[in-house]
Amino acid sequence: MASKANKPELIVGGKRLDGRAFDELRPIKIEAGVLKNADGSAYIEQGNNKILAAVYGPKEVFPKHDADPTKAIIRCKYSMAPFSSLEGHGRSGPNRRAIEISKVIREAFENVVLLEEFPNNEIDIFIEILQGDGGTRAAGLTAASVALASAGIPMKDLIYAVSAGKIGEEVVLDFNMIEDNYSDADMPIAIAPRNNEVLLLQMDGSLTKQQFEKAVDLVIGAGKKISAIQKDALREVYAKIERKYENKE
Amino acid sequence: MKSIVVPGEQIPGNVKSGNVYVEEGKAYATVLGLYDEEGKRIITLEGAWNPKMDETVVGIVQEAGRNNSYTIDLSSFRRGVLLLGKFSKAEFKVGDVVEALVDRVNGKKEVILSNPRLLRGGVVIKIKPTKIPRVLGKANTMAKQISELTRCDLVVGSNGIIWVRGENTALAISAILRIESDAHVSGLTEKIKEMLVNNTTKRS
Repeated sequence: MASKANKPELIVGGKRLDGRAFDELRPIKIEAGVLKNADGSAYIEQGNNKILAAVYGPKEVFPKHDADPTKAIIRCKYSMAPFSSLEGHGRSGPNRRAIEISKVIREAFENVVLLEEFPNNEIDIFIEILQGDGGTRAAGLTAASVALASAGIPMKDLIYAVSAGKIGEEVVLDFNMIEDNYSDADMPIAIAPRNNEVLLLQMDGSLTKQQFEKAVDLVIGAGKKISAIQKDALREVYAKIERKYENKE
Repeated sequence: MKSIVVPGEQIPGNVKSGNVYVEEGKAYATVLGLYDEEGKRIITLEGAWNPKMDETVVGIVQEAGRNNSYTIDLSSFRRGVLLLGKFSKAEFKVGDVVEALVDRVNGKKEVILSNPRLLRGGVVIKIKPTKIPRVLGKANTMAKQISELTRCDLVVGSNGIIWVRGENTALAISAILRIESDAHVSGLTEKIKEMLVNNTTKRS
């Protein structure tokens, strides 16, 4: 496990272990509408992360005493598959970590989904980590956002999340698993790109004020790329069908 | 000209109503949809059914209660309720397919139905409720075309359930399912006509 004693050299010759620059994202691929049975779904690959997100609803709340007569409620379940990573994740049901992540993701979405349109209803979000390689809560949230849009749920914005942090004194974007384990600070941030509102911010370790500001700048800069990929994924579902006709003619 | 918009995307120009979020005088889309510049509106591509008065719906009788009252499955999170009263002659059994009009939605989000009509025989298919306007077409042209070319009776419920009965139900269903998946393509009526004509002539 991670400790100071066996910490590997994370930055070699000004580059990170996987050859990325400090402000470089891992390659991201998003596909929308992958699950036929769900009302909305998305699949994301961010580096070695492979994550499925599915959305069901709006539907009647069960048990009924959980229902809110003024607005819809969101239920979110983040879970790691037993085969998702090297450690013992997901082998004995939801653990404290999974429950916490489910809660913070739910709260991020409660700020953007127009819940008042569906009183007495619930919207279910499922995030299943098939393969985890660091930054899964951020990638899961990015995918869930696309899944919500593809379910036709009204939202103020298509939100994204990505982590930033510190290795030594360098501020670095989008940690992978090994950087996450040995880094000096790790900070996942979710942002609504329309007005750069922060919807989720957690931090392990410590950052100075300057480092914090730099980290937020990196996240917002990278967010433009992530947002574009999210929008392309949603448009691609329909563009695919249009291309079918163009080829025929 | 229609273009696809995603939640949070700023809408150029103004929108008459619905599916937008206004902040500081600028309109942003709230749903995944098609922005129709001429109609100044956003047509949703996905999402749940929103009942409106006097819409036709098709449902399946789920439960028969006292005083000729029925619970109707509308394949939605909203339950359909049919209250006929003891003086009504109409009577339904559980499992019957019923066509009815939306009267109102009550406080419990139940859809109160009126003017029920029993649909005998036939096949029931479910599609996404957002695609129903496309299945009907402008002034019902699309639905009429399918029904004439396949010699089928169609009842299109705005809740996403369609009842089909007639000579060539298989063709009618495949046409409807194609409209569901290709709803955003322009000039679809002509393309569906071509498909229907080709398939019917081949057989005879």
